[in-house]
Amino acid sequence: MKQYTDLEYLKLSKFRRGLHKLAAFFLSIPRAIAGLFVKIGLFLKNAALAVGREIKDIFLTFKNGDWKTRLSFFIMGFGNLSRGQILRGVLFLLFQAVFIFFMVKPTGGLYWLSMLPSLGKEGPGKAYDPVYDTYVTAFNDNSFQILLYGVLTIFFIIACVITWRINVRQNKLAQQILDSGKPLKSGKDDLRSMVDDNFHKTLLALPLAGILIFTVMPIVFMILVAFTNYDGAHDGYTNALFTWVGLENINTMLGIGAGSKVYAATFGEILLWTLMWAFFATFTNYFLGMLVAMMINKKGIQFKKGWRTILVMTIAIPQFISLLYVSKMFAQNGMVNQFLQSIGVLKGLNYIPFLSKEWPARISVILINIWIGIPYVMLIATGILMNIPQDLYESAKIDGASGWKQYTKITLPYMLFITGPYLLTTFTSNMNNFNVIYLLTSGGPPNPTASSAAGSVGFTDLLITWLFKITTGAESQYYFASVIGILVFIVVAIISLVVYNLLPSVKNEEDFQ
Amino acid sequence: MMKKMLAFVLAMAMIFSLAACGGGNNATTAAPTTTAGGQANNTTTTAAQPATTPAGTASPLAGTYQIKVWAPDAAVELTKKQIDDFNSKNNDGIKFEATVEAVSEGEAGTNVITDVDAAGDLYFFAQDQFARLVLAGGLSQLGKGAADIVKSTNDEGAVNASSVGGDLYAYPLTADNGYFMYYDKSAVDEAHLGSLEDLIADCEKGEKYFCFNVEGSAWYAASFFFGAGCVSEWTTDADGKFTAVNDTFSSDKGLIAAKGMQKLVTSKAYIDSSDAGEFSKGAAVVVSGPWAYNDAKAILGDNLGAAELPSYTVDGTTCHLGNFSGYKLLGVKPTTDPARSAALHKLAQYLTSEEGQLERFQELAFGPANKNAQQNAEVQANPGLTALAAQAPYSTVQGNIPGTWWEIGKVIATEIKEAKDEAGLKAALESYNSKIQDVLKIDTSGYILVGAWNGWNNNDDAYRMENKDGAFMFTLEVPESDYMGGRIVTPGDWDTDKGCTIVTEGKELIDLERTDNNDNNIIFKEPGTYVITYNQAAGTITIVKK
Repeated sequence: MKQYTDLEYLKLSKFRRGLHKLAAFFLSIPRAIAGLFVKIGLFLKNAALAVGREIKDIFLTFKNGDWKTRLSFFIMGFGNLSRGQILRGVLFLLFQAVFIFFMVKPTGGLYWLSMLPSLGKEGPGKAYDPVYDTYVTAFNDNSFQILLYGVLTIFFIIACVITWRINVRQNKLAQQILDSGKPLKSGKDDLRSMVDDNFHKTLLALPLAGILIFTVMPIVFMILVAFTNYDGAHDGYTNALFTWVGLENINTMLGIGAGSKVYAATFGEILLWTLMWAFFATFTNYFLGMLVAMMINKKGIQFKKGWRTILVMTIAIPQFISLLYVSKMFAQNGMVNQFLQSIGVLKGLNYIPFLSKEWPARISVILINIWIGIPYVMLIATGILMNIPQDLYESAKIDGASGWKQYTKITLPYMLFITGPYLLTTFTSNMNNFNVIYLLTSGGPPNPTASSAAGSVGFTDLLITWLFKITTGAESQYYFASVIGILVFIVVAIISLVVYNLLPSVKNEEDFQ
Repeated sequence: MMKKMLAFVLAMAMIFSLAACGGGNNATTAAPTTTAGGQANNTTTTAAQPATTPAGTASPLAGTYQIKVWAPDAAVELTKKQIDDFNSKNNDGIKFEATVEAVSEGEAGTNVITDVDAAGDLYFFAQDQFARLVLAGGLSQLGKGAADIVKSTNDEGAVNASSVGGDLYAYPLTADNGYFMYYDKSAVDEAHLGSLEDLIADCEKGEKYFCFNVEGSAWYAASFFFGAGCVSEWTTDADGKFTAVNDTFSSDKGLIAAKGMQKLVTSKAYIDSSDAGEFSKGAAVVVSGPWAYNDAKAILGDNLGAAELPSYTVDGTTCHLGNFSGYKLLGVKPTTDPARSAALHKLAQYLTSEEGQLERFQELAFGPANKNAQQNAEVQANPGLTALAAQAPYSTVQGNIPGTWWEIGKVIATEIKEAKDEAGLKAALESYNSKIQDVLKIDTSGYILVGAWNGWNNNDDAYRMENKDGAFMFTLEVPESDYMGGRIVTPGDWDTDKGCTIVTEGKELIDLERTDNNDNNIIFKEPGTYVITYNQAAGTITIVKK
């Protein structure tokens, strides 16, 4: 496509400029994708090189090491102990002892690992006890625990390998330090450094361990569930074992292969509405909230605090209460319809299907969401609007800019610059906005064309409420819930990455400095 | 330097979590069994020689058990009292220390399935969840003695409702899980009670509402279809897995039902609800069950009437609305300890005995399932239960129905509401039917042999032909019978083209002359073992006798 110089570009009509920008955007996509692949390739290459360097280093350490170092390869911490670093040596040794104990004990690491490929061999059994004239259940393998502890064991092994590597490197360093005639750090020195030059690591240790144990490992576990047949009829312990099924669930959800297409069709339909909902819920709140804030901020408006308080009241009442109440108000014979009937707007028993027909319900949830969402944006916008330098507006007025011009050229860029990241997080959290949808409509009105087998799907169901219905529905298909979770993550990640890089706050960092 | 320290901290944290969890791995479910050490010993030692224990000495069941019971909110206090009664009355020395938690009968099943370990040891649940619970291993099978008592004292429907393949898995608690019509005497002309159309007209004229939960629940939606004579019957194997279905909702009768339902759901007076509270919001008619009686009475007082469901007329056919007659059941969670299991079953027996059921009726107006309790004068005088009894001739006993059916049946009313014409109604029924077939998840590829040998079950995989490069083969054992015939079909279908007319080899083995053979069946002359091969490309069948 034609490259314009700045002057040529500015000469173009507005329409041509937009066209040019659009074309440039689409033309840049292949290059961006190619760039991504190059980046991935480079990353893999670097990773492979790094691993190669590590292995070479380990090998050289063994080759050049003295007998203490070499023995440390098998008894962790031996080198430290024999060179007088008692504290480190004991910790290494203790770690190795605990690791070996954990791995070999009955129903320890080795057991979990050996069961992991099959997720259990013997399911529960039922036996008649003639003495008591009753049936008792014999519980055997537990697929759920096997999967959980299998994952934990793998993490533990990785931790052990890393620790072993540190142990080897320490021996190399200790040898070098001793060779150069300097003394080694004592246990006291190590302890002191923990609150001195290495204090940041001391502080970070706990949060990092917490994230690993309470966030990363559960996520790995939950992702793995997507590749099993874990559901109500295969709960892994009380009724039947579950096992690996490979990509079957993901294929079903995406309609790949020969299986039923209902899930894929339902997924597509719900994803579309989820994106629509997230878009409207985010931007209606954003612009209307900003508008309200500007109105209240305007000079000459009385009772500013009063207006704000009224709006903030909706935040003060828990959504559980207000939304359930509102859903009753808008029911077929709810307050709103009965009021309209009694004042004669609606004749007889006529009613407006606020929440009981496809599009009215979709519009209603977006409108009701505005009511509960505006106060938040209003609060944020109020603070920002007060911060915009007034001289910008004054000079704009002198230049004869209209109110609208001032808004699009001063207020909006300023707001977008500061609240860009907020907009993005709101968009993603709206995609997962369980509360508003579930409390208002429970996903309804029912969507007859969407498969009922996938948990009675309605027209206002988001992926997250569908996920909830699938897990609590007739078949409790946890694996589909996991698949949906993964897919939602992918969608949100793509949108977030693309939008984040387009944000003014990221692109033009210096604009409002 | 600190990297190492960090690694240690991480590693130690992991060790602790692993050690802590790993240790408890095997013992988890057995944990909440007998309580104090002394009593636990007592039960285990006596367990060794229980059969010979002479009368009068301690029963092997004696001991204190800590249990958790899930009962619906209204029944919590009563259940507590009944357990106390049991503690003082039983002769086995069983003592329960029970915590009773409020979990509604509608939700108990889902909660149990979500986490069987954490579920109540005894729980009240509605019949629609029975099949799911058996499949999920949430119910402990009844011992022989208990099963005999249940069979002899409860009505037949109740026994069927709590058994799978002849084995009992739950105790019938109430037989009132059906619905009928409550109405406001001041708003409805009592002469119109027999006709749905008249009632709707009354409601529209008086600007009152007709509440029938057909869109929200398949349980109510089925009313119209049962009224028109449709059935939905499901068959399970002994494990509770569904193997076959006879569902006629998608038929000419179903179309009549759909037209009848359309009259209601397209009316402005219609509200999708079964809540007696609607009477305070302008409802004239609410279709609901006996449990709504007290609420409705509180709102309407003497104006409250209860009657059987009305009839609807479509194309000259008059159909009396049907209903499900179902049961509420009491389930016992499976345990590994036989003494505990037996004791829990004793308590369940007591709670569901004639006495227990009558007490529940007196306190909560729950209609009993026990035959003797049903004959009680007070029970027979209850207006709600009387209306239910009047509805009884039109009711369908609720058998085992797969959990997904309730979700499939739920949308049928919405589809009927949206349908513009007869074609739309037919499409709604057709879509319902295809979803029903999906439930059984029949593999419709390849061929099966359907016939007398498998009871004409075209959903069963057992007679599936093996595919050898386009030639489908099966070695068939034909038992002696009057009609030793059948044909090759695609699973789930009844195609008649693959029968005796395309047999090219082995014609002498089959009876080609039979006059009753309208379906082109392959009818063998003699019992025996046959190898049947269907060549798909050539469209020929060869039969070889072994």
